[in-house]
Amino acid sequence: MTHETEKLDTTDIPVVDQVDADVVPQRPDRAEGVISRRVALGLVVALILLFPVIAIPVFSSYAYVMQIGMLTLMWISMSSSWNIIGGFAGYISLGHGVFYAIGGYSAGLALAHWGISPFLFLPVAGLAAMAVGLLAGLITLRTRGPAFIVATIAMLFLFLLWFDNWEFIGASSGLDLPLVDIPVRWLKVPFYYAMALSAIGAVYLSYRIAHSKFGLGLRAISEDETKAEVAGINTRWYKVIAFSLSAYFIGTAGAVYGYSLTHLRPLTFFAIAVAARMVLMSIIGGRGTVAGPVVGAILIVGVNEFSVRQFGQTELNIVVTGAILVAALLFFPQGIVGSLRKSGRLPAFLDWD
Amino acid sequence: MNWVQLLVLGLLLGSVYAMMASGLTLLFGVMRVVNLAHAAFILIASYITYLLFENLTLDPIVSLVITMPLMFGLGVIIYLVLFPRIEGSARYVEMTVLLTFGLALVVEGLLTFVFTGTFRSVRPAYVSTSIHVGDIFIPSNQLYASAVSFALLIGLWVLLRFTKTGTAIRATMQNRGAAQIVGVNVRRISAFAFGTGMALAGAAGSLLSFLFPFFPGKHWQWIALLLSLIVLGGMGSIKGAVIGALLLAIASAVVTDTFGPTWSPITFYLTLFLILLVRPQGLFGAKLRL
Amino acid sequence: MALLEIEDVVAGYGAGPDILTGVTLSIDEGTSYCIVGPNGAGKSTLLRTIAGILKPRAGEVRLDGTRMNGSRPDQMLAAGVCFVPQDASLFPTMTVRENLVMGGYLLGDRVLKRQRLEMVFETFPALADRKSQNAGTLSGGEQQMVTLGRSLMVEPKVVMIDEPSLGLAPMIADQIFEKIGGFRELGITVVLVEQNAVKGLESVDWGFVLDLGSKEFEGPADGILADPRIRELYLGKQLAPRERR
Repeated sequence: MTHETEKLDTTDIPVVDQVDADVVPQRPDRAEGVISRRVALGLVVALILLFPVIAIPVFSSYAYVMQIGMLTLMWISMSSSWNIIGGFAGYISLGHGVFYAIGGYSAGLALAHWGISPFLFLPVAGLAAMAVGLLAGLITLRTRGPAFIVATIAMLFLFLLWFDNWEFIGASSGLDLPLVDIPVRWLKVPFYYAMALSAIGAVYLSYRIAHSKFGLGLRAISEDETKAEVAGINTRWYKVIAFSLSAYFIGTAGAVYGYSLTHLRPLTFFAIAVAARMVLMSIIGGRGTVAGPVVGAILIVGVNEFSVRQFGQTELNIVVTGAILVAALLFFPQGIVGSLRKSGRLPAFLDWD
Repeated sequence: MNWVQLLVLGLLLGSVYAMMASGLTLLFGVMRVVNLAHAAFILIASYITYLLFENLTLDPIVSLVITMPLMFGLGVIIYLVLFPRIEGSARYVEMTVLLTFGLALVVEGLLTFVFTGTFRSVRPAYVSTSIHVGDIFIPSNQLYASAVSFALLIGLWVLLRFTKTGTAIRATMQNRGAAQIVGVNVRRISAFAFGTGMALAGAAGSLLSFLFPFFPGKHWQWIALLLSLIVLGGMGSIKGAVIGALLLAIASAVVTDTFGPTWSPITFYLTLFLILLVRPQGLFGAKLRL
Repeated sequence: MALLEIEDVVAGYGAGPDILTGVTLSIDEGTSYCIVGPNGAGKSTLLRTIAGILKPRAGEVRLDGTRMNGSRPDQMLAAGVCFVPQDASLFPTMTVRENLVMGGYLLGDRVLKRQRLEMVFETFPALADRKSQNAGTLSGGEQQMVTLGRSLMVEPKVVMIDEPSLGLAPMIADQIFEKIGGFRELGITVVLVEQNAVKGLESVDWGFVLDLGSKEFEGPADGILADPRIRELYLGKQLAPRERR
C-alpha cells in the first residue's frame, strides 16, 4: 500500500443518480451580454413589423424587397416549425411539404369556393395542417431513425400523387385564385404582414417549447430515447404532439404563400427542394436551438438571392444548396448558433434558448 | 390481361427493382448508410450509358462493362472521402441520410446543368421487339434487363456466400463489432461493400436507360420507391429487399391493369403505411438496431 | 521484457473526456491478471485501447517491445492479442460452427482451421453438441463459451476478456471461470476485467486496481482479496469474504 488511508467519511462520497442526470440534459448556460434577451427579441419583432414602413424611402425596388422579406419570413416560419420535430426531438422528417400543401390548398379552396380571404383563414389552415400532422404522425412515428425518414418520404409522395390526381382541386394543372386588388407596388405588403404573423408565431411556439417541460422531454428523447422511456416520459405522445405542432405554422405559411402565387399547383408545395431547404436552414443555423433556424433561413435566402443574381435561376442553385448541406454536415454539424454556443462565443441577442 | 402475363411482367420488372434495392440494402446493412443519393447515382449511370450509345453506338447492356467498374470506383472514393468524418458521431445513421440527401441534390443539379431537363432514353433495337411464348407476350428489353438483373443477383449471392470477402461482408452486416474482433478490416470491407452497392447502381442505370425515359429529377421517384421497399422488406435484409421488390412489381402490374397506371404507386405507399401500422420493422426486419 | 507494456496511456471516446488518465502497467507472459475497480474506472476502456478499438490520446502500448499505438483491431489480433468484449459479439444468425470458423478468419490455411476447430470442440464439448444451432438461440453461458472458443482459433498470446460472468447465473459463471482457467494451461496469458471482483481475483495470479482512469494499486490477487482496506475502498463494502475454492 503506497499511500495513507484515512477513515473514509461516507458522507463525502457523492451519490450520483445516474439515470436522472443522464436523462435530463442540462440547459446551456445563458450568455451575458450588452443586449438582454428580452430586449433583443422585442427589437427583432419591432424591426420586422416596422420594416415595410422603413423600407419605403430606402429601397427603390420596393416590391422586390417586400417579396424577399415575405419569403424570408416564410422560411423562418417553416424552418422553425420543422425544428420542433427535427431539431428538438431529433426526428428528421423529409415530408413536411405535405403541411405546406395542406395550408396552401385549404386556404385556396376556402377562397375559391367560399370567398374567405386566406388572411382570415390562416389559423384554420394551420389547424388543418396540424390535424393531418396528428394522423400522419400516429402512423409514421411507429418507426424510428432511418425507417421514420423513409416513412415521411412515403407520406410526401402519397399526398403528392393524391393531389396530382384529384380533380376537385385541379389535379396537376392546378387551381386559380382571384388576385388581390392592390396596386403592384404595395401588393406584397399585406402578404408580408401575414407571413410575419406566421413567423413570429412559429418562433414564439419554438421558444415556449424550448423552455417547457415538454421541450426538455423532447430533448431527452433526441439524446437517448430508451433512457427517456425508462425515466417515465411518454415518448410516443411527446413525438406525435411535436410532429403535429410542427405542422401548424408550416400550414399558415403555405396559406399565405399560395395566395401570393394566385395559382396553386401540387409540385410547388411538394417539391423536394422545399424539404431540403427546411432541413438545411435548421442545420446550418443550429438544429435544436430557437435562434438557429431563424439565422439559417436568413442566411440561405440571402445566399439563394445572391446566386440567382450571379448565375441566373438555374439548376446551379440546387447544386449550391446540396453542397452547402454537405459542407455543413461535415464541418459544422452544430450549425452556426450551436458552434458559437459550444465555443462560448454566442452573443446574448442570439441566445434564445 | 391474363394472370400469367401479369405475373411474368411483374417478375421481370421486379428483378430489376430487386437488384437496385439489394445494392441499397448492402449499403445500409454493412455501413448503416441510408443512401438517399442511390437513385441519383443510378441516373448518372443512365446518362453515361446514353452518351456511350449516342456517340459510340455502344449497346447499353454491353456498357455495363464500363458503368459498373466506374461506379464501383466512384463509390469507394465517395465512401472514403465523406463518411469517415461522421463515423464517430452519435447520430450516424441520420447524418448519412442528410449527407446523401445533399449529395443527391448536387448530382441532380449537375446533371441538369450538363444534360438539361429533356427526357432522354436509350433506344437499341430490342426496345421495340417482343417475344411470344404461347399466350404471353414479353417485351424484349424487359426480358434482357431482367436476365442481366438475375445474373447480377446470383453473382451477388455467390460473392456473399462463397468468397472470403463476402463472408466478411455478411459478418459485418450482422455484427460490426464482432467482425472487427475476429480480424475483419471493417474499414476496407465497408469501402468494398459501398463500391459493390454502387456497382449494382451502375448496372441498374444502364438497364433502366432502355426501360424508361429519364430526366434529372426522376431519381426522387425511384429513391422514394426503393427506400419504401427496403423499409417494407425490413432494413438490412437483402432477402427482404428482393422478395419485397418482386411482390411490389407483381402487385404493381395487377393494379395498373385493373385501375390504371397512376394507382399503382399510390397503392404501394398506402400498403407501406398499413404495414407500418401493424409491423413497423417491415416484413423481414429485426427490431431496428440503430 | 514484459509481453504487453502499457505506459501512461490516456484515452477516451469520440470527443468526450479522458476516461483513462494515464495508466501504466505491464503484463507478463504466462501470468493471469484481473483488473478490478469501481464503475467508470476505465477498465473496459483499457482493454479496448489495447485491442486497438480505441486509439490512445497519449502514452504507449507495446507488444513484445514493439510500439502498437493506433493499430487496428485486426492488426492486433494478427499480432496475437485477442479481445472478447462484454456485449454479445456473436453472429446471431450463423451457427455455432460458423461462428467459430469466423474466429479463424485470419487463418489462411483451411487444414489449420479444421484442426483448430477440432481443438476448440475438444476444449468445449458442450459446443460440439450444438454445432449446427444458431448462435442467437443459445443460452448466456453457451454464448460466452462460443466467444471464448472463438478466441482460441487463432492461438493467441493474450486473451483479454471483458466481464466474462456478466449476466450469468453463479453456477454458470463458475463454469466459465473454469474454462478460463484452462486457458492458462494452454500457455495463454489471460487478462480479465471483472465487476465481480472476488470471483475475478480468485481465478487469477495478479490483480490491478483501477480507479478514475489510472492504476491505484497492483499486487498478488489473493493479497488484494485479503486486504480489508483495498476491499473497502475499491471493491465495495457489500462483498462478503468467500471461501477459496
